[in-house]
Amino acid sequence: MKDKKTIIILLSIIAVIVIGSVIGIFYVSRPSESNTVEIVSNGKVVKTLNLSTEKNNSFEVENNGKINVVEIKNGKIRVKSADCPDKVCVDSGWLKSSDLPIVCLPNKLIIRFTKNSDDIDSVSK
Amino acid sequence: MSVKKISRFGLLTAIALILFIVELRIPNLVPIPGVKLGLANIVTIFALYRYKPSETGLILTARILLGSMFSGNMSSMIYSISGAVLCFIGMIFLCKIVPEKYMWISSILGAVLHNIGQTIAAIILMGTFSVIAYLPFLMISGCIAGLFTGLCATFLTSRLKIK
Repeated sequence: MKDKKTIIILLSIIAVIVIGSVIGIFYVSRPSESNTVEIVSNGKVVKTLNLSTEKNNSFEVENNGKINVVEIKNGKIRVKSADCPDKVCVDSGWLKSSDLPIVCLPNKLIIRFTKNSDDIDSVSK
Repeated sequence: MSVKKISRFGLLTAIALILFIVELRIPNLVPIPGVKLGLANIVTIFALYRYKPSETGLILTARILLGSMFSGNMSSMIYSISGAVLCFIGMIFLCKIVPEKYMWISSILGAVLHNIGQTIAAIILMGTFSVIAYLPFLMISGCIAGLFTGLCATFLTSRLKIK
């Protein structure tokens, strides 16, 4: 009897985790309203770009000799190629969601939208 | 520790390593950092239910260290360790309250704890909180992977009568 109770409690915890995660997935997958993108390498912001004004180009981001090639095309940004073992960053494709960054764990690279695009614009102007 | 036990733990570690290396050959199904099936944990769950926590800890440590060396991916080891530590602590408690028949429940919760540990490591290593956005994806995949490995371990224990 005691076992049954434990199992029901644990199953409801799992149900809560699953429901919470599904809500979380929908929340973080919203398309971004901002056009400003931040490239973070090894915990430091190395580049801030405005995708709506940026020309099509690609450049390398280097951290401790490890390289990710970032491509900007038609106002979108992605990791074109990388020397990391898993290539998750390349498979992630173009950056779309507001809260879900492109991450390359082995090379410590993050590409993400920044929330306050207006502030950065006014500073750069 | 008796010779019988040493050889048995050696065998379990070897099986876990084989599962780990076979899994490396499976391509990433989803482009989400940290998503894995975790087949090697079939052995961990089995060991937790059959042997003492300290003995399971030995198998787990040996598997993670050797596995990272064999895969040549030492940078991912820190994620494995932080996930494994949190998962292991939780599982020691869970395998006491969850009967063997319902192993998959503790396996699912263990997998979720593993994902939380991984995410904490990623936040510290990457120096930013934005990686936390991947946690809901990891937890869903963890539930599926945990259910799978848990069921595998259940079938294993129901067929293996050795103590």
